[in-house]
Amino acid sequence: MTAAVSTGPPFLLTWRLARRELRGGLRSRFRGFRIFLSCLVLGTAAIAAVGSVSSSIGAGLRMDARALLGGDLELRIHHRPATPQQREWLASNGRLSEIVALRAMASRIDGKDRRLVELKAVDEAYPLIGTVVLRSGQPLADALALHDGVHGLITADSLLKRLDLAVGDRVTIGDATFRIAGVLLGEPDRATRGIQLGPRAIVSRAALDATQLLKPGALSQYYYRILLPPGSQVGDVRDRLAEAFPDAPWRIRDPAEAAPGLTRFIERLTLFLTLVGLSALLIGGIGVGNAVHAFLTQRRSTIATLKCLGAPAGLVLRMYLAQIMLLAALGIAVGLALGALSPLAAAPLVADLLPVGLQAGIYPRPLALAAVFGVLTTLVFSLGPLMLARDVPAAALFRQAVAPARRRLRVQDVAVMGMLVMSLAALTVLTAHDRPLAVWFVGGAMAAFAAFRLAAFGVTRAAARWPHPRNPRIRLALANLHRPGAPTTSVVLSLGMGITVLVAIMMIERNLSERIAEVVEERAPAFFFIDIQPQQTTDFDVLVRSFPGAGAVRQVPMLRGRITAMAGVPVSAIEPPPHHAWVTRGDRGLTWARTPPESGSRIVEGEWWPADYDGPPLISFDAEAARAFGLGIGDEVTFNILGRRFVATIANLRQIDWASLGMNFVVIFSPGALERAPQISIATVQIDKASEDALEAAVNTRFPNVSAIRVRDVVADVNRIMASIDIAAKAVSAVAIIAGVLVLSGAVAAGRRRRIYDAVVLKTLGATRRDVLTAYLIEFALLGLVTAAIAAVAGSLAAWAVTTGLMHVDWDFTPGAMIWTTLVCVGATLFFGAIGAWRALGRKAAPLLRNE
Amino acid sequence: MHDRSTTPLQSPSPIVAVSGLELTLSSAAGAVEILRGIDVEIGPGEQVALVGASGAGKSSMMMIVGGLERASAGSVLVAGYDLTDMSEDELALFRRENVGIVFQSFHLIPTMTALENVAIPLEFAGHRDAFALAAAELEAVGLGHRTGHYPGQLSGGEQQRVALARAFVTEPRLLLADEPTGNLDGDTGAQIIELMFRLSEQKGTTLLLITHDPALASRCARELRIADGRIVGDVTRAVAAG
Repeated sequence: MTAAVSTGPPFLLTWRLARRELRGGLRSRFRGFRIFLSCLVLGTAAIAAVGSVSSSIGAGLRMDARALLGGDLELRIHHRPATPQQREWLASNGRLSEIVALRAMASRIDGKDRRLVELKAVDEAYPLIGTVVLRSGQPLADALALHDGVHGLITADSLLKRLDLAVGDRVTIGDATFRIAGVLLGEPDRATRGIQLGPRAIVSRAALDATQLLKPGALSQYYYRILLPPGSQVGDVRDRLAEAFPDAPWRIRDPAEAAPGLTRFIERLTLFLTLVGLSALLIGGIGVGNAVHAFLTQRRSTIATLKCLGAPAGLVLRMYLAQIMLLAALGIAVGLALGALSPLAAAPLVADLLPVGLQAGIYPRPLALAAVFGVLTTLVFSLGPLMLARDVPAAALFRQAVAPARRRLRVQDVAVMGMLVMSLAALTVLTAHDRPLAVWFVGGAMAAFAAFRLAAFGVTRAAARWPHPRNPRIRLALANLHRPGAPTTSVVLSLGMGITVLVAIMMIERNLSERIAEVVEERAPAFFFIDIQPQQTTDFDVLVRSFPGAGAVRQVPMLRGRITAMAGVPVSAIEPPPHHAWVTRGDRGLTWARTPPESGSRIVEGEWWPADYDGPPLISFDAEAARAFGLGIGDEVTFNILGRRFVATIANLRQIDWASLGMNFVVIFSPGALERAPQISIATVQIDKASEDALEAAVNTRFPNVSAIRVRDVVADVNRIMASIDIAAKAVSAVAIIAGVLVLSGAVAAGRRRRIYDAVVLKTLGATRRDVLTAYLIEFALLGLVTAAIAAVAGSLAAWAVTTGLMHVDWDFTPGAMIWTTLVCVGATLFFGAIGAWRALGRKAAPLLRNE
Repeated sequence: MHDRSTTPLQSPSPIVAVSGLELTLSSAAGAVEILRGIDVEIGPGEQVALVGASGAGKSSMMMIVGGLERASAGSVLVAGYDLTDMSEDELALFRRENVGIVFQSFHLIPTMTALENVAIPLEFAGHRDAFALAAAELEAVGLGHRTGHYPGQLSGGEQQRVALARAFVTEPRLLLADEPTGNLDGDTGAQIIELMFRLSEQKGTTLLLITHDPALASRCARELRIADGRIVGDVTRAVAAG
């Protein structure tokens, strides 16, 4: 040879060869890749959609953050206003608005009906940002103004409907009567509080004083919002504020944390749905692997020829890897495009659930994450077949029967695959907001894959070892389950995983709603009464206990305070454990007691104090929170309660049943420390459903300042939110099921040629169409049943682990979900099996036999 | 034509030299002894027919000489390379530079044009003018007008001509041909054989040809007969050129 030798980069040759194969067109050369593409599109679209919708909610929150917060800076104090000195400082640093929020009972003036409202008293400066929108269009100040000695009140339509009132009618709140001046349509600083227990009502600050509700210790919040002058930096003002009032009891927020509760909720929901989406992608991965395997099997002779002509193994691997990744890129791109468009589709669906609109746009981070998940999944599932194809010997062109191609991966190949799997796991964990949950998911997914592989192996072996049945149809069906190239493994793995996800989600949901219903029916009180003044406690107790139909009544004092140090370490220096961060986040409800609580918790460590204890402050602490923060008996905890510092020693730990919906406190003080502090009492009352209205009316008439919270109403609200989450979860898990069905249909289609040949030969030997069809249907019914049975067990186990391990909720086996999913599973396998069989039966025998 | 019971003395440096060659393969039914001790030398430019019944070991011997299969025992020297201890990729490199192969069923790559099929071994070797050389080779086998056609668009005879062009384009020192006319009709087969012999003579390529066809075997100056994994006959004869 005299030709010059080029030193061009080898990837150019790889690319040139890959392009030649792709050139023939996707349709003819990559027929089997429809499933491959569908699986990737589905999986990446699900992950990209969840991320994009979440990001667009986040962007909506950030965009409206100042309006949601109501200013550039917000200070919140519980139960009491800022001091004149503090107010003066705040007013000198910007435009100041003061708001008081509390819960109160709004009643018809004829006393016939009443409803808890979320009352907000605003000053003239409110709102600093945005406008309050009334249905009538009139300005807020006009609506709230005093006319003929009566203050105006604006409220949501739901209160008017509930009390059967109209604009212009009157309502009483506390000691004051109000004129309903308008219907509230839009409130700029909405949803910055947690759960809303009633419709919003807005009155003026002067009108609130007239209600006489602001008694010492009443459960009220004072909000101070500042609109900073141009050029002023939020951070600077925060720093100066901290310097001027280092011990002030307020909690400060700026627009970056306008809706922290909502942000946390969205983060959790996003993670949960992303994991379900990732399950769909992993299930689709099986389809990806099957398609790559089938494609490379067809290419065996080309690969062997290339090797005969001197192609090194690495070049063969690179050349086919390039083709697979190019196709994957196509699928992923379509998935990302769908995901990127999803905020547009989701916007109308979430409009009623969120305080902000979705901010439409392209969010690169979630799209990039979905793309990387897609690429890694493709690699994990296609490298195995690719590596086996790389090892196709050149001698395969001469000889197939003896010394078949290598079926096992080399050690270094297994290492590469292991690294890819670990990268996928690491990406899942590192990009999750809740890493322990992500670790559980990764572990669970790996265990499920291993378990289903093992199960598939077991099914194949069992079918092979089964004593030969006399019925030839059943014998054929069993043989089809274990013959080489049977779709058994693919179907058990893919459909099994999909059904597992669905069973788990349905069972978790069923368990949660059953627990809630059970607690509400059997254990939860009917009412929470709040803001009972110290001088009212005895009268209240007498009234409620003597009320016909009333059951258990519990009344405890309550005041608010926050933990400032644990075991001598300031809270600011403690990294809170993720599931217990709320313990040190802001003010908590505190109580004191002479005797241990009768229900809702039990002492698991240490001793309760004597009823007449009068020594240095002791506390009883939530056992789980103590464990999370590393606290134990004898450790000191420092509190700031209404501006005063208390240091108390942990005397005992209680295991708290938060699900009981009763009054539970993380911290209970010993007697002596808090009795003289301003406080109110709260009470829980159990009563017959029929007597609820009458009790509410009696309490409200006698104690207008006491607010009644109906647990049933709160639970209904919670259920409504849960129902929306459930729809989202079901939608994403449906993607997992669709991925499973795609893989199933692909696996069945892959065996089509052989099935047609079988059918033709059987018909030639005298089998009727019905015989052949029956055999195929038995095969797929068996496969579906076995898969469903395994998936039901795996799904139940996953649901059990999540409900008891993560949610700490009692577990009940709910067979309904299982029966339903079993039917789906058997139905799907039968359907696709029947389609395959039908096509096979339609073929004429002669031409096929001649060809064979 | 006369039988010879011993291996003839060849030129000082044979292109193929195997001794004590054994091949045992495992199968589901147990180990199968394919080759049981073969000693043979083939000199440069020789044209050798390898004949024997099906399953005698012809293809296996050819695969070992082509570096497509590893011997279980014995030494294999081809074109001065000791194939015994070479890695998979070293063997690929060795084939690329020294061996051309022609198969019974052509084994052209269906997704590539005739020109690309012929150019590909040159491309593997990194030749800049791979396509020009490939085009010239196609011209030489009479397919200059079919360069852009895919294998599916060519007749059986044309496909085997492309395969010949592909085998000769690297100017290999050894051409291995496994029943090159087995899938062709008589006339077409004869044309292919003519072409193959002409090219191997023009380029001085050693030819090792597996065939069941006695007429074809008699075109070769030497005939090796294999039976049951052993060489049972080695005949040299005078043949008329082309």
